[in-house]
Amino acid sequence: MATEGVETTSEEVPVPGKVSTRYDLEKETELRFEVESGEAVEQIELELLTGMAEVFGSELNRNKKYTFGAGAKIAVFTWQGCSVNLYGKPEVAYVSKDTPMLLYLNTHAALEQMRRQAERDNERGPRVMVVGPTDVGKSTVCRLLLSYAVRVGRRPTLVELDVGQSGVSVPGTVSALCIERPADVEEGFSVQAPLVYHFGSTTPGTNIKLYNKLTSCLAEVYSQRCEVNRKASVGGCIINTCGWVKGSGYQALVHCASAFEVDVVLVLDHERLYNELKRDLPHFVRVVLLPKSGGVVERSKECRRDTRDEKIREYFYGFRGVTFYPFSYEVRFSDVRIYKIGAPSIPDSCLPLGMSQDDTQLKLVPVTPGRDLTYHVLSVSSAEDGEEGARKGIVESPVCGFIVVTNVDTQTQVMKVLSPAPRPLPRHTLLIMDIRFMDSK
Amino acid sequence: MADQNKTDTDSKFYNEVLSPSELFAARSRSHKIPVRGQKDFFPDDSDEQRQRLEQSLNEHWSLISEERVEKLGNLVKATWIPSENIVELQSPAGKFWQTMGFSAGGKQFLFPEEALYLMECGNVQVFYQELPLSIQDGYEKFLYSSTLRLQEYQVFGHLKRLGYLVHRFHPSSETSSYAKQLNLPQSRDRAGKQLKRKRSASPTATSSHTEAQEESTADRMEEDTCGQEGQEDKKLPESHLTISPETSSTQTATASPGNKGGVRTWWMLDDVGERSDHQPASAASRWDFSSISFPDLGSSRERVSSCLVSPDPSLLPGALAVGVCDVDPWRTRINLRDVKMSSKEQMREEEKRRHRSDKDREVRRCSNWAEYRQLMERRQGRRSKGRATHLWDGEVTPLHDPRQPIPTGELLDKISVIKSTHLLEGASRLQASDEWRISFNVYQPDTVADFKKSNPGKPYTRMCVCSFDGPVPDLRAIKQLAFQSGDVLVVFAVVDYGDISFYTFKDFQLPTDVFP
Repeated sequence: MATEGVETTSEEVPVPGKVSTRYDLEKETELRFEVESGEAVEQIELELLTGMAEVFGSELNRNKKYTFGAGAKIAVFTWQGCSVNLYGKPEVAYVSKDTPMLLYLNTHAALEQMRRQAERDNERGPRVMVVGPTDVGKSTVCRLLLSYAVRVGRRPTLVELDVGQSGVSVPGTVSALCIERPADVEEGFSVQAPLVYHFGSTTPGTNIKLYNKLTSCLAEVYSQRCEVNRKASVGGCIINTCGWVKGSGYQALVHCASAFEVDVVLVLDHERLYNELKRDLPHFVRVVLLPKSGGVVERSKECRRDTRDEKIREYFYGFRGVTFYPFSYEVRFSDVRIYKIGAPSIPDSCLPLGMSQDDTQLKLVPVTPGRDLTYHVLSVSSAEDGEEGARKGIVESPVCGFIVVTNVDTQTQVMKVLSPAPRPLPRHTLLIMDIRFMDSK
Repeated sequence: MADQNKTDTDSKFYNEVLSPSELFAARSRSHKIPVRGQKDFFPDDSDEQRQRLEQSLNEHWSLISEERVEKLGNLVKATWIPSENIVELQSPAGKFWQTMGFSAGGKQFLFPEEALYLMECGNVQVFYQELPLSIQDGYEKFLYSSTLRLQEYQVFGHLKRLGYLVHRFHPSSETSSYAKQLNLPQSRDRAGKQLKRKRSASPTATSSHTEAQEESTADRMEEDTCGQEGQEDKKLPESHLTISPETSSTQTATASPGNKGGVRTWWMLDDVGERSDHQPASAASRWDFSSISFPDLGSSRERVSSCLVSPDPSLLPGALAVGVCDVDPWRTRINLRDVKMSSKEQMREEEKRRHRSDKDREVRRCSNWAEYRQLMERRQGRRSKGRATHLWDGEVTPLHDPRQPIPTGELLDKISVIKSTHLLEGASRLQASDEWRISFNVYQPDTVADFKKSNPGKPYTRMCVCSFDGPVPDLRAIKQLAFQSGDVLVVFAVVDYGDISFYTFKDFQLPTDVFP
């Protein structure tokens, strides 16, 4: 990686206890830095001194200090040139001239052209699907494009189909979020009233049928929203997908394209996938191949798990664990009904005539509460607490919230839960996730 | 009094007083009841068995033929009134009055079973037409199949001897489940009735006496209203239920994105102010991608142009002005690594390559997703794989279509041939039958001390008497009796000549845990 850029390291205005490093960036270059991961790591502060700069599409305010905690991987990009100060000792920090930002910006320009046309012709705006293998910066590209769109006055929608690393809600869900302001430099997009569906696992492969079903659900609701909300319709949507691009994962991508009726597919750094999609999607869908940024780092399994944990913690305790105060209370087993979506698979030879394995994947299986429920994340389904009739809608019902089982007492038939809201539970239909969360902090 | 001397004259009977020596002899007699031993089921024609039987029989005979000695002072005089099927006391009652008998119109009465039991105990002497009745007379006169069956008396006596308090069961005394649910105080009328334990009609529905009949019809009417009340109370939650599915259905409608134009969820509702007046239902493909330039590294491979013109600043945030972008260096950086594929995957690839959708003329003709999907559906429909026709096309089809996934519990319900039922399920609608009825309320022996006839409280159990010869109670009878009894357990006392066994039916849940 060519690391050029004028790098003058000068000690000015020393912050007590922290090393201050000044970087002067030329136009169209970016400063990349990473904060060490792990406990008790010194946080890094970033300050823009002169010029203009942005972090993943969100502009930095001058003379404001932004704090980044453990594990953060940040790129500060400037179009015109700027100088920034870093306080603290990052694990890595370098200036790179070699960024695909111009390509991404051109992509945005093209999308914006489409939005203009949509506005003029009273049609719907571009629906964009971002695909690619893992660790190519799909989420970042989404964030970038959304932030740019908001900054030119659009109201795009983020559709998050990455069940492993959801940017909107807790992992194990698919969701949609209306974007009304650029992402916060530290926190990301402000999550207000997202539409969330329960998937229950961190990889779509565990129940691909359910995954496709939920994709269709989201697409349907999004289309309905577009019908009543002109701005949302023109703004279009940007769909973030999983990094699984082979076999069923690929089929899921094609299904998603069809469900959302996408207009543009952005393929990040995967020529084969690009060619396959070009072949399998109808000709009126524009498939675009884009490079990944050199700054993208591969995340380890542990790193992904930590991010997931952090995301759940953020749901309960707020950003950096300080803003929210969750409640803990007891729920009687008899008051709730817990289901798992998808019956365990059985050999084909045991299935009735004419029935295929897939048919069991959307089944609701009642879960008998027991000790093994401990630490599982449960989704509170917004399905009415009716009897038989309502049960059919549970899979397609959005989620109102999540709780975590912290303790199970089989003697008294009571479980203790961590909940963002005080008792009682708004609904009594719970869906169990494979994901567990231990409230260790 | 002795069983044998029933033909004796009045005066002689009164004057039969034993001398001290006779009295002692009677006192010192063994009062043991002969042991009956093991039951022999088949006569094996052996002398041994015959002897054993004969001996046992003789023992019983001698026991019965024995003269019984009673204390004159203990005997309470009473008169048998056959027309009313009751016994009226003539002299002040003894200790038994605490738990037995009832008063009406300033007089004290005993039910025939009570009188007979007290006669057997030697506490009451019953006269009829100025003549004392022997115990045998009592059995003959008091017990009729229409009023009080022998089996019922046997059960009564058996329980009494064990110390239980046994009273006739009266259907109207049972508060309806509706009243119980509302926690109503007992109505004055009912309380008045209980204050003085009035004579209740004999357990049998048919009674010769008009008054009793009137009463029983009144009771029945009361019962009817109770039944209706019961039904009402059954209806209440039902109607509640009928409301909730409606609301829930609308709710699910809002939740499920399936219905268009219906109620919308919060997620779709915001910003309705900017509602568009017109939206084409099917979005036609209108993007002219030749004028909208994406920085597509893939396509530029084929084309010559390698430089992107700088985008219109008005399209960019903050009205940026950026220069041209050279795409070429990026092309070399794209991930070109080959993906390892199994032979199966490669086959599939080949297959796909042959069906290239971008070369397909029909697909080419589609200009948007709606048309494309229609086309795909048409193609799907053409080669829709039929399900096993021999199973589904006939008149008789399988119970469940496996393509409709339902929870295993529901499926098990569906295939269950014999439906399980709860004891009280639907019982309120059953008509009372004549064949089965509850005969007695039974109270536990330890309640004797503070037992009040006027306010007996909740019985321990209720007895329904039947015989081993008779039919087994069917589900309908069990349900009806259980409903009539309310929350008190109904016990079936089954009489096999002298032996009584007790059975009861309890509600229980078969385990329905279907999760693996």
